[in-house]
Amino acid sequence: MAGRRVLITGVSTKLGAQLALRLEADPDVDKLFGMDLVPPTAPLTRMEFIQADIREPDVMSILPETGAEVVVHNNILRRPRVGMSPQAAHDINVIGTLQLLTACEHTGSIEAIVVRGSAGIYGSEPAAPQFFREDMAMLYASRTRFQRDVSEIETYFENFARRRPHVTCTMLRYQPAIGTSLNTQVTRYLAMPVLPTFLGYDPRLQFVHEIDGLEALVAAIKNPVRGAVNVASRGTIGLTRMVRMAHKPNVPLPPQLFGGAVQAGTRFGLDRLSDDFKRLLRYGRGVDLARLENEVGFVPRYTTVEAVAEYIRASRGEPVPAEARGPSESAVV
Amino acid sequence: MSETRTDRPQDLPLAAAIGFLRSLRKALESGAELPVALSHAAGGLPRQARTRVERMSDRLGGDYAEDEWGFDEEFAETAFPFFEFMYDRWWRVQVEGIQHVPGHGRALLVANHAGVVPWDATMIGVAILRHHPLPRYARFLVLNWAFDLPWASVFLRKVGGVPASHHNAQRLLEQENLVAVFPEGVKGAGKDWNQRYRLQRFGRGGYIELALRTGSPIVPVAVVGSEEIYPKLGENRLLARITGAPYFPVTPTFPWLGPLGGVPLPSKWRIEFCEPIPTEHYGPERAQDQRLVLELSERVQETIQQKLYENLVKRGSTFV
Repeated sequence: MAGRRVLITGVSTKLGAQLALRLEADPDVDKLFGMDLVPPTAPLTRMEFIQADIREPDVMSILPETGAEVVVHNNILRRPRVGMSPQAAHDINVIGTLQLLTACEHTGSIEAIVVRGSAGIYGSEPAAPQFFREDMAMLYASRTRFQRDVSEIETYFENFARRRPHVTCTMLRYQPAIGTSLNTQVTRYLAMPVLPTFLGYDPRLQFVHEIDGLEALVAAIKNPVRGAVNVASRGTIGLTRMVRMAHKPNVPLPPQLFGGAVQAGTRFGLDRLSDDFKRLLRYGRGVDLARLENEVGFVPRYTTVEAVAEYIRASRGEPVPAEARGPSESAVV
Repeated sequence: MSETRTDRPQDLPLAAAIGFLRSLRKALESGAELPVALSHAAGGLPRQARTRVERMSDRLGGDYAEDEWGFDEEFAETAFPFFEFMYDRWWRVQVEGIQHVPGHGRALLVANHAGVVPWDATMIGVAILRHHPLPRYARFLVLNWAFDLPWASVFLRKVGGVPASHHNAQRLLEQENLVAVFPEGVKGAGKDWNQRYRLQRFGRGGYIELALRTGSPIVPVAVVGSEEIYPKLGENRLLARITGAPYFPVTPTFPWLGPLGGVPLPSKWRIEFCEPIPTEHYGPERAQDQRLVLELSERVQETIQQKLYENLVKRGSTFV
């Protein structure tokens, strides 16, 4: 274990709170700090909550006082929250990260930084390698705002890692998450009454089950490695198969009409899809998990198909077979 | 190796009807009266139809298996009768040297290529499934451009195609697959009629590096017939730019007849699998050895070119 004093940003998100609960129960963690704008609703006892905006320079004075040895950066938004402007999301992602890193530079106690980044950096391309390896981030030009944000964040981290070689910086590139307790683009998509798809396309999709996502983060905190690491559940699923498993009506739309139709659908309660997610629905994306399994030492317990099947069963109120649920306590190496 | 031509009974979509006739004949031969035999045989018909309908509704419920590449074996099986028809009736494919294809483990099939539609890849696949003592599916790399086309990309993935990228090929080989590559690439696909069977430059030998890195044996494959199915007379740059295609072919039938122009001409085909070239003994670090790579690439290219000429002579006339 790299450190005993751990700080988590974005602790009031679902995954942040789950991680805090997990680390509270961990005897290796002496002191736990959680930072966010609003206090977490989870029943946390040992954690010290710090109310701070990651975009404000206050962070620079707060962070050195904590004496944190490991910082978990869990405050990167995949999509603007309801009522949030894209500009605000960009500020939280890019300016927030920059502030946090500057604060880390002035915190002598820091040994490792673990970031929950995004596999969105690879983009979604028709003829891309089916499984992106960590060194293929710059194969294609950035096409969406979020992709540009993620690239910018990663550049900051690379620069930081170069300037502070004694700090281990782990950039976890998460595929979109799926799980009954989460509210992500995938779960919102599957919750729509009708599922829009691209006419004539059946992309290969890959998600990360919430348990795999949490355990990968824990594993990376215990065994931080330098550089980027992909995080996802094993294997892929075809969009068509997923839609059929969901037993929902499917509306295939020609690519030219897709954007407009989905936009019009938001008036009838359809979810707004981000540009990244639209590209994902057309071209899909898979990542290679060799580094996660061999270097971080975490083997995902779920396949993408199992994760989707479990989510769909649970969201329809059907009982989830016991063996399909991963054990809640883990044996992370 | 002698030539292999099979006259195996066809598994066309008429299978149900053939099954009906077969059980009718069997019942008659065993001495049953006609009405009894008829009812007996008909009993089989709904059952077959029923299981088919059941299977179809299972698939509509999302209950089918695809691997991580999107290869759908069940779908490939349903498409097989169509490919078999093209193989037996349309192109009357003759196969030589099937014993050179390894029955298990990784191997790289390297073949000549023409045309955008990967008919040659699918026919190589059918040849292995039909004639090999240990039949197996071959995966094949397809021009990237095809993966931005609606439906084509879906269909290609389901029958074993993947976008042409050495990352994909390497992973497939590491998973002990049989992988077919066409190193001529776009240059091969866009060959003019008068250049047919003249191999274009084999890229920079990337496929050899791939074989060395993964220790896969290389099986050169010569395909005769595939370069006459779309006689390309010229190309139209403007239309290529509009459609985003790497080139826009003009053949005697395309684009004049619209979609009908996509029907390939019924040339006579021969596929010869040549002796495998082992690469394992070089070791993966020799993949950096440019001299070895170029040498091996040259050797593979010469083998295929020579076998192409031999098979052109053996084949005789092009269409009959």
